[in-house]
Amino acid sequence: MKIFVKVFATLRKKYPEVNDLNPLELDIDKDTTLAQLISKLGFEQEEVRIILVNGHKASLDDIIKEEMSIISLFPAVGGG
Amino acid sequence: MEFGYMNKWLKINLTLGEFKDFSISEDILRKFIGGKGIAIHLLWKYITKLEEKGINVMEFDALSPENMLIFATGPVTGTRSPNSGRHHVMAMKSPLTGSIGSGNSGGRWGAKLKFAGYDGIVVIGKAENPVYISIIDGIVEIHDATKLWGMNSIETSTELRKKHDKKRAGVSCIGPAGENLIPMAVIMNEEHRAAGRTGLGAVMGSKNLKAIIVEGERKPIIAQQDKFDIKVKEHVEKLKENGVTGTGLPTYGTAVLVNIINQNGMLPTNNWQTVVNPEAEKISGETLTEEYLINKHPCWGCVVACGRKSKVDKGNYKTTYTEGPEYESIWALGGSTSMNNMGAVIRANHYCDILGMDPISIGSTIAAAMELNEKGMIPEEDLQGIDLRFGNADAVVELTWMAAFRQGFGFWIGEGSRKMCQHYGAPDLSMEVKGLEMPAYDPRGAKGIGLNYATGNRGGCHVTGYTIAAEILGDVDRFTTDGKAELTKIFQDFTSLVNSSVNCLFLTFALGLDEYAEMIGPITGWEVDSDELLTTGERITNLERMIINKMGITGKDDTLPKRLLEEQMPEGPSAGQTVDLATMKEEYYKLRGWVDGIPSEEKVIELGLK
Repeated sequence: MKIFVKVFATLRKKYPEVNDLNPLELDIDKDTTLAQLISKLGFEQEEVRIILVNGHKASLDDIIKEEMSIISLFPAVGGG
Repeated sequence: MEFGYMNKWLKINLTLGEFKDFSISEDILRKFIGGKGIAIHLLWKYITKLEEKGINVMEFDALSPENMLIFATGPVTGTRSPNSGRHHVMAMKSPLTGSIGSGNSGGRWGAKLKFAGYDGIVVIGKAENPVYISIIDGIVEIHDATKLWGMNSIETSTELRKKHDKKRAGVSCIGPAGENLIPMAVIMNEEHRAAGRTGLGAVMGSKNLKAIIVEGERKPIIAQQDKFDIKVKEHVEKLKENGVTGTGLPTYGTAVLVNIINQNGMLPTNNWQTVVNPEAEKISGETLTEEYLINKHPCWGCVVACGRKSKVDKGNYKTTYTEGPEYESIWALGGSTSMNNMGAVIRANHYCDILGMDPISIGSTIAAAMELNEKGMIPEEDLQGIDLRFGNADAVVELTWMAAFRQGFGFWIGEGSRKMCQHYGAPDLSMEVKGLEMPAYDPRGAKGIGLNYATGNRGGCHVTGYTIAAEILGDVDRFTTDGKAELTKIFQDFTSLVNSSVNCLFLTFALGLDEYAEMIGPITGWEVDSDELLTTGERITNLERMIINKMGITGKDDTLPKRLLEEQMPEGPSAGQTVDLATMKEEYYKLRGWVDGIPSEEKVIELGLK
């Protein structure tokens, strides 16, 4: 199943070329969880603090259901 | 009051060229803490006095000599407690909104005012000719500022530090925008920090007051030094360990929010007509860091360092040195106008800094003008050749400059979106609340921030109650309206306390009310706990509300632009959403003990405000 991954802020240290305009295209198995995806990408779970699937908050145990989903991964961020 | 405070306030009457010291009693300090709280207490007393004289504050002109301008610090300011260089500025009346004026600034001016020997300054009247005030080691002087008039904020600060031979002095000043009484003028300090909203710079300009320079060696005395030192160490560790204050903000500044807010489908674009910006990456914190960042620039005593030193190396907007831009400025100047050109954003933001204007109000008003133009509502002769299409970076940069001098169409930009959209017959295109342009989060995607925008005392403002921390950066469901009344109330009251302490709101990503009790307790020697402090915050929020009630603000003004209430979000992750404000507002008023936006008699008595 094809999905797109976008990484942001400090997570880009591992994927400097990946951004909003240039997402990472991945083939994943059906029933892959976000925790599995994060581990496959080489991140520790604690590094990834906000996960969005197609712009909606998701948690580590959630399964990626839809083909072509956009997964956005963030560390802890804030501002104002 | 022996501890934490300098025990001295300064009142200056510029009409008479006179000044005197006064002090504030300990029971009032405990009720209102300092900063914003004490300023509101003083404004309330002043309004009562004006009313006794038969003056109607609702019709009062914000630029008249009788307007009161207050610079205030709190017990935490200038101590070793982290991020405590800040100060709060308030005016009885804002020239932009016609209601209360309020702004909180970083830098070092707040700490330096205390070192100079004062907790705060109250300014009334109008000097005959331009003046500036110096407060150095307890000595107050009013000086001629004719030669400073016309200088920008950097020139003014540099000149005054040189003249007084105080290299590290704090300088608060206005730029040309404040001199020209532009309703969205700010008070700058340390060149690139601002008491940035509601047009405080125009109030200062209307008094012919160009600057206040402060410096000194005095220090507030801490009541329980050993306990305080332990808590400072603990708080610094918490800030360092926290992902937001320890890594996110230091690495990328506040601009780190551009991408996450856009990914949530909440980044207002084309004057809030949509919320998905396909090119937001170009104006993101990551891009700023990679291509434009020189270094970080922390405020006085700051352990976070979200401030940016930046430059533009090439192209039309070449800038050798400036600071920022912040998330809000990037969005207003570059996102809402859909120009997505970081060089142009940095240049326009630099103009706002040196000329002394609020980039949120400037950018939002330009975006509203672009929509008016798109709809064919601005006659061509009014534009005098400016191409006001969305995305035109040159127009944004040019109009920012022109606004400070009321040049051409810049006149309407400087007046703010409410007046401009009314003038061109389309008030619904003005994206503001109570006359203050809203910041960078579309509440159709996070309902709590919508309630906060609607009910915020100073108008459309995120830092009155930053529910985004819970709704976007935390675990609270962003679309539901359930529980948002309580969330908003707590955020607003806690923020009132922070702005009265006075230190940096960003601390609250890592530190809660208990930690504020751990600061204020040992500093003052008071036995305070989190319950008392939250009630103090509530008291301050309510007294500020009672002031804006005097300005004619009631429940009808606690609202949002029609677009957010009625137009469904057209695309992206928040598609189909509007803000169901009425439901949240009803619950919020009930929790607050307000009737139609006015604190009830019971609430006023309960909070000791009678």
